[in-house]
Amino acid sequence: MIPLKKVGFLVNPIAGMGGAVGLKGTDGLAAEAVARGAVPVSPRRAEIALAELSGVDALFLTAGGDMGESALRKSGQRYQVVYRPPQEPTAEDTQKASSTFIEEGVDLIVFCGGDGTARDVSEVAGLQAPIIGIPAGVKMQSGVFAVSPKAAGELVRGYLEEGLLIRETEIVDVDEEKYRAGTLDTKIYGIAATPYKPALVQERKQIYSSRNEEEFKEEIAVFASEFMRDGSAYILGAGTTTAKIAELLGAEKTLLGVDVIQNGRTICRDASERDLLRVIDDEGRAKIIVSPIGAQGFVLGRGSQQISPEVLRRAGPENLIIVATPHKLKETPHLLVDTGDQKLDETISGRRQVICGYRIAQLKDVEASSRVGMDQSGSF
Amino acid sequence: MRTKILLDEEEMPKRWYNVAADLLTPLDPPLHPQTGEPLKPEDLEMIFPKGLIRQEMSMERWIEIPDEVRDILRLWRPTPLFRAHRLEEHLKTPAKIYYKYEGVSPAGSHKPNTAVPQAYYNMKEGIERIATETGAGQWGSALSMATSFFELECRVYMVRASFDQKPYRKSIMQVWGAECVASPSELTNAGRMILKEHPDTGGSLGIAISEAVEDAATHDNTNYALGSVLNHVLLHQTVEGQELKAQLAIVDDYPDVIYGCVGGGSNFPGMVFPFVPDKLKENKEIRMVACEPSACPTLTKGLFTYDFGDTARLTPLLKMYTLGHDFIPPSIHAGGLRYHGDAPLLCNLVHDRVIEAMSFHQNEVFKAAVTFARTEGILPAPEASHALKPAIDDAIACKKTGEEKTIVISLSGHGHFDLSSYDAYFAGNLVDYEYPEELVKQSLAKVPKF
Repeated sequence: MIPLKKVGFLVNPIAGMGGAVGLKGTDGLAAEAVARGAVPVSPRRAEIALAELSGVDALFLTAGGDMGESALRKSGQRYQVVYRPPQEPTAEDTQKASSTFIEEGVDLIVFCGGDGTARDVSEVAGLQAPIIGIPAGVKMQSGVFAVSPKAAGELVRGYLEEGLLIRETEIVDVDEEKYRAGTLDTKIYGIAATPYKPALVQERKQIYSSRNEEEFKEEIAVFASEFMRDGSAYILGAGTTTAKIAELLGAEKTLLGVDVIQNGRTICRDASERDLLRVIDDEGRAKIIVSPIGAQGFVLGRGSQQISPEVLRRAGPENLIIVATPHKLKETPHLLVDTGDQKLDETISGRRQVICGYRIAQLKDVEASSRVGMDQSGSF
Repeated sequence: MRTKILLDEEEMPKRWYNVAADLLTPLDPPLHPQTGEPLKPEDLEMIFPKGLIRQEMSMERWIEIPDEVRDILRLWRPTPLFRAHRLEEHLKTPAKIYYKYEGVSPAGSHKPNTAVPQAYYNMKEGIERIATETGAGQWGSALSMATSFFELECRVYMVRASFDQKPYRKSIMQVWGAECVASPSELTNAGRMILKEHPDTGGSLGIAISEAVEDAATHDNTNYALGSVLNHVLLHQTVEGQELKAQLAIVDDYPDVIYGCVGGGSNFPGMVFPFVPDKLKENKEIRMVACEPSACPTLTKGLFTYDFGDTARLTPLLKMYTLGHDFIPPSIHAGGLRYHGDAPLLCNLVHDRVIEAMSFHQNEVFKAAVTFARTEGILPAPEASHALKPAIDDAIACKKTGEEKTIVISLSGHGHFDLSSYDAYFAGNLVDYEYPEELVKQSLAKVPKF
């Protein structure tokens, strides 16, 4: 008999409340949001996702009250409360509950919230259990989020019943304090595992068969390892695709930082903007490899601030190489750049080759995010 | 206003034209895959009949078509030449657009032109079974029909991406008595090795060729057949160009330019080779333009060098434009054009600048295909549509110059099995692939040469 699948289920009851009242995130501001008239959005979204799961054969482990229990009770799912928050739930409770899920050996963690919640869950879960996010936050740039609560439900069912493939993706968040002050500073906080039904699913037979996204990362890495033999210094941006290149070369790479590789060796680890400028000066030239980060397809300006306008200008925009799996390209209508220098952004934007496999590229529109407008670029 | 220019059955060509006799630079010989020495006829006897090997190596300008072969070609040949009045009107062009349509064959493409003689020569030499590969399914279908006419068994290794995309190709091969399997398969060593490494691969023509060659080499009384690339295949296709010339003569016209799609090379060379002596010896100003996908731009971006014809390095080394035998082109919808190399005869003429090459993205190609279908009615195959794109552009350019250019399109087949591709186009799901030429060159610069 197949053992019953266990799913950790968690709702951040205050997620998303700040958005409607102009707070750009709710961290530390729940009381303020309520005072401004915000109503909880996440419980409703959790219920929509759960509605997609009727009849699913799984045991849900959850936290008490608004943190999951109430939604599960309404849905009629089989569940067990394994953690109770002592008072009003906080980020710490999200982490404690997640940690209990991992101890219980869950097959999957499903949470309802935003990037902050994703960070809390993934910090504890790491790659020990795959994570699916039901989108309910103000910001949802991390790659674990399904496109809608309904899609999240379908994804959970797909994973439990059909065993979907797993990919590694970035957990991304902006610093809310800075963001409220007008600076957008996105950082990669970690890497999580997440199941995916390729957005390609309707045509998967025609285009990629059921090929695993990781295989494409490998293909890209093999190709990169070939063209990187030219002796140039290569500045590698953050993310799992560029990490794969370093892995294949046997070079050390910080997953969340920017590193410089030359002739198969890491010559500068976790480089700052100043380090990068120095490398370019020393070498006389450098090439830059970046990959879109998170769900919105930012290749520059979010997550890799070290690759600054100055670095790009000195390396030359023609030496910018973009790499991305076909899966990622399918999910983002266009790639975005936001270096903070509008003129440079416009130089880089346009139809560009994006390396997506072994000796294969796609033509993709790269746009300056200032032109796209914040609203279209995501959930801001 | 004449729309269809038809030839009588008796006007069907009685000889094939061998362009090898008229090249500017002699063809570099194929090399043995193990020894690297020029291939001898007996090296090929394990998988090809002598009749075809003679043609493969022949330097004679004209070769007789056997009556038994002509009797079968008669079922659909001569194929019609159309004047595209409605397309011209739609484009408001002063250019004269013609298209020679090979989709009238029972298999729906030009491929039976060589499938029939290949099956015939095998039958004549007592072969009982043929193994082959197919990309989009056109060649597999054509050979299935041809082998059924001569009562031979046939197994077709079909590139998995196409196999899944066009399930009815398998069905039609079954009707003609052939067995169609998805490649890579578990039936050969080459297939099993690929599957072990890439269990979910969509396959490629290079892999399928490895499987079919291995099948032929390891089965009794079994030969291999190839639907493009080889000299004898291109030879058989020259019935097309000879007819075209005769048909244009009826309306007192001659092409300024001929556009045709190229995968490995068979339809396009067949259409243009009979015009090569006109250009070389009579100084006719005719452009012959090979049209290929940007995702697999062999002639426009490949290297002109010796390379293997297949992934497993079983075939002889051919001097050709190549993207590398280990290159698996992205799964574009023109599956028949996904081949890393090209016919040596065609490459020779491209290298000597007798023939030109251009490449196109699939979205612009489908756009041209839809324009064509909505004006001329025929639903073209995605492969064939690669020739429509530049022809339409050319005709539009004539609006500005006022030139009454004669544009000929080699329309190699219909797209009735490709409707899911049209669906994907309308749904906005087609990806425009590119070949990252600079980075590939950079990577090849440091790779040890074979």
